[in-house]
Order: sequence, then structure tokens, then C-alpha cells
Amino acid sequence: MSKLLVRSIVRPEKADAVMKALLEAGFPAVTKVPVCGRGKQRGLKVGEITYDELPKEMLMTVVPEADKDFVVKTVLGAAKSSETGNYGDGKIFISPVDDVYTISSGVKE
Amino acid sequence: MKEVMAVIRMNKINDTKRALNEAGISSFTATGRVQGRGKGMVDYRILHGAEEGAPEAIAQLGEGPRLVPKRLITIVVSDDWVDKTVNTIIKTNQTGSSGDGKIFVLPILEATRVRTGETVEGPSGGDVLDSSGGLL
Repeated sequence: MSKLLVRSIVRPEKADAVMKALLEAGFPAVTKVPVCGRGKQRGLKVGEITYDELPKEMLMTVVPEADKDFVVKTVLGAAKSSETGNYGDGKIFISPVDDVYTISSGVKE
Repeated sequence: MKEVMAVIRMNKINDTKRALNEAGISSFTATGRVQGRGKGMVDYRILHGAEEGAPEAIAQLGEGPRLVPKRLITIVVSDDWVDKTVNTIIKTNQTGSSGDGKIFVLPILEATRVRTGETVEGPSGGDVLDSSGGLL
């Protein structure tokens, strides 16, 4: 079955909650990358100063195609900063993965 | 074109760089320290330490799997160089125990060289890619 790479960019303070939710949902394998970026709101404007490199955490996980919707729902549920959500809660990007190899065994999955 | 994305052990980065260079794959992007967890394999040294009552080992026993520091490397190559890249990474990084890492191969639709602005598509990557298959 083909696999998908799910890259979720979430608030740093929500990263632990998302990782916990993923673990409980049965997706233990995650790579966490600290990143900086801005979104559609062009960063945060506080008075005269614009912050356009806001710190976020990128969580990368590779999942079977069939589990895509479930994983997205899990991340969404844990990453929202309130019931309705706020600007800056992040984005989820999904891209196809052709092959997956485990280095320790050299096996192609 | 394909993107080969590999999560490897921190101490293997120099060996990997050297091996890739010797294999003729010179272009290379390394992301700094990333944190990751795999399928939840247990680090027995910590379990052993916790059994012996070492407080620092017990402190590391969390509810879930611990996050382990890793290096993330990405390499963009032509389709016919993917196997060589993957094999080089596997050969250099394989210790046989869990935690060696994973390699993902992702499709790349288009590559543009910033210096000239030329864009290429398709499996070979055309002349934006040098003879080694790496992005010039």
C-alpha cells in the first residue's frame, strides 16, 4: 500500500499534545523539526513591529494512505488552540512517498 | 527527480557525507538536530539503569517513547540515482540495531536553479542536474 508523508506545522506548545495524540492513535513514529515561518496573516503585528518568523514545530510522520483522514483528524483535534481555532494554529501538508526503507535491516517496506 | 529524505543517527553524519561524496552524490542538505521517535523500541541501557535504581535513568522513563535526537538529510537526485543514494545511506548507517533511522523517497515535480532561473521537470532532471545526478 502506498504511503503518505504528513507534515504538520503546529504551535510549539501544542507539539507535545499532538505527539501524545498520535501515539495514542497508534502512530508512534514521528520526527519533530523546529522551524520558523509566517502564514497568510503575514506574521504578527504588535504596534510598529512585525514578527514574520514565528517559531513552530514541524511534525513529520509517514502513514499508510488509508489512514490519512484519521491522522489528519487526530492532528487537528490536538493542535487547535481553542474549540474554534485561531490564526497561527498551523497547517498540515500531505505529499506522496514512493519508497520507505528501514536502515537497520535495509528492508524496503 | 526524487527527493531522498533520511533520518539518521547524529554520529553518522560525517561518515554519510563522505560516503555520498565518494559515490558521486555531492549535493546535500542537512537539517540540524531533529527529535524523533520510531516504533517505540526500548533503549535497554535506560531500562537496565532504571532497574539498578539510577535516578537519571528513572527520570527518562516517560509515559510514551522518548524522543531521540537525530539528523535529517535530504538529497534531490535523478530517478536512476535513487538506488545508489539509498544503498549508500543504508551501507553507511546500518548497525543492525533499532534506531538506525528511515529513508523516504518522495517525488519532486520540478527543480529550478536560482542562479539562472532555469526550470526542469521529469525523471532525469535535465541539465539542471550535473553528471552525478545532484543539483548543481
